[in-house]
Amino acid sequence: MLCDECGKKEANVHLTHIINGKKTESHLCEECANKTQSIFNSSFSMENLFSAMLNNTFNAKTYLPKKGCSNCGMTYDEFRSIGKFGCSHCIDTFKHRLMPVVKSIQGYDSHTGKIPKRAGGKFKVQMDIKNLKAKLKSAVEREEYELAAKLRDEIHALEKKIQGDE
Amino acid sequence: MEDNIVISSRIRLARNLKNYKFPVYMTTEEANNVIAEVNYALNKERKNYDLIYMKELTDVQKNSLIENHLISPALAKKNDSGAFLLSPDKKISIMINEEDHIRIQTLGEGMSLKECWDLGNKVDDDLEEYVDYAFDKELGYVTSCPTNIGTGVRASVMLHLPALSITNQVEKFLYSISQLGIAVRGVYGEGTKSIGHLYQISNQGTLGASEETLIERITQIVMQIVEKERKTREHLKKNNYDELEDDFYRAYGLLTHARKMTTDEAMKLLSLIKLGGEMGITPMVIGKDIYKLMVKIQPNNISNLEGISMKERDKKRAEIIRNELLK
Ligand SMILES: [Zn+2]
Ligand SMILES: [Zn+2]
Repeated sequence: MLCDECGKKEANVHLTHIINGKKTESHLCEECANKTQSIFNSSFSMENLFSAMLNNTFNAKTYLPKKGCSNCGMTYDEFRSIGKFGCSHCIDTFKHRLMPVVKSIQGYDSHTGKIPKRAGGKFKVQMDIKNLKAKLKSAVEREEYELAAKLRDEIHALEKKIQGDE
Repeated sequence: MEDNIVISSRIRLARNLKNYKFPVYMTTEEANNVIAEVNYALNKERKNYDLIYMKELTDVQKNSLIENHLISPALAKKNDSGAFLLSPDKKISIMINEEDHIRIQTLGEGMSLKECWDLGNKVDDDLEEYVDYAFDKELGYVTSCPTNIGTGVRASVMLHLPALSITNQVEKFLYSISQLGIAVRGVYGEGTKSIGHLYQISNQGTLGASEETLIERITQIVMQIVEKERKTREHLKKNNYDELEDDFYRAYGLLTHARKMTTDEAMKLLSLIKLGGEMGITPMVIGKDIYKLMVKIQPNNISNLEGISMKERDKKRAEIIRNELLK
């Protein structure tokens, strides 16, 4: 196979890129690959990429809402050029437009991991219950009944806690 | 043979307060209120951290803190609004009003991402008892820039990869790793090459994987890189012993005798004798912390020493290195 870039030399470096969820492959000779590779040392960064994507995805100015964030006043236009939120409410204001970009940049569109105790509130308890239920299921499958009983108690305690809050 | 390929680990957590405008929009007064809240939350019972304002520091002091990885260049630019809290052992640094209201950073030696995460997680919990975090059920911790949203966690590991570097394999190898959602950059020096063969690798994404999964993933990748570096060292020792020995002794000779030395030259040579020591070829450097010396001879760390002018820097650098190696 010949190099995609120069078409002269034998391609012996094979790369897979995933851009916007689309997979592309490139086959390069050593020399051309070396040229491409310096990108990780250049000014390439997630932020630049993000800002570029925002600008590519939403070029249709006519769809921009007149009103911005009700809390800090940031408009989508401003957000698009700065690439940063003005306050914690901006995320609600811009969410529906932002989701596709977030997904293509991050590869995912929902949070997994730590939930803050206070800010997470009831949601954290719900997620804890969900995780415990998954553990319970696998404990039952493995026939570890002692553990299962313990997990069941924990789940009941949390469920009571949620009902008590209501 | 004891090697020191994994130099250090770091975890950074990005957090913001719900009731304040984010740093791009905040006034100096609001910025000071954020500093006061964070300081109160962590220092109220007993003084756990020193509070240091950016406006109190000279440029040399700021750059020296950057060279020691205690603050970021972005915080150094926040002269009116930036501050940080530093633990006495310097393992925890909490930057305030950088890109986000709060950036908790924990540092550890060698491969210690897990320990760093435990430490950072604890500071995060302590903080949240008193401050109201911005959190979104779907998207997690809300950060200024959507590239950090989710866990807000950046896990990074600093690696010394001299064998992969001198055999010209490092760029290709690290590029293939960057395809796995991992960012790679040189630690010191700008542009295309890392001086001193020091590289930092970290995760790019912050959404969709839990902190534990992320740490596990980075650890796996680091182990692969370390393995590759070790194999390359063995290969070099077997096939290029005479050349290596000559290179290492030349480097040692210059380092122990030169009277003036630039940062670039010193970093290159120190990297070589570090490798020489770890490969058992230059036994006289075994037991010396060459990485620590690499940090010590950074330009602002030298200028930060009393009474050292720009002009005297290279001379002072050579002196520090001689003293350390011949001690
Ligand atoms: Zn080619
Ligand atoms: Zn807003």
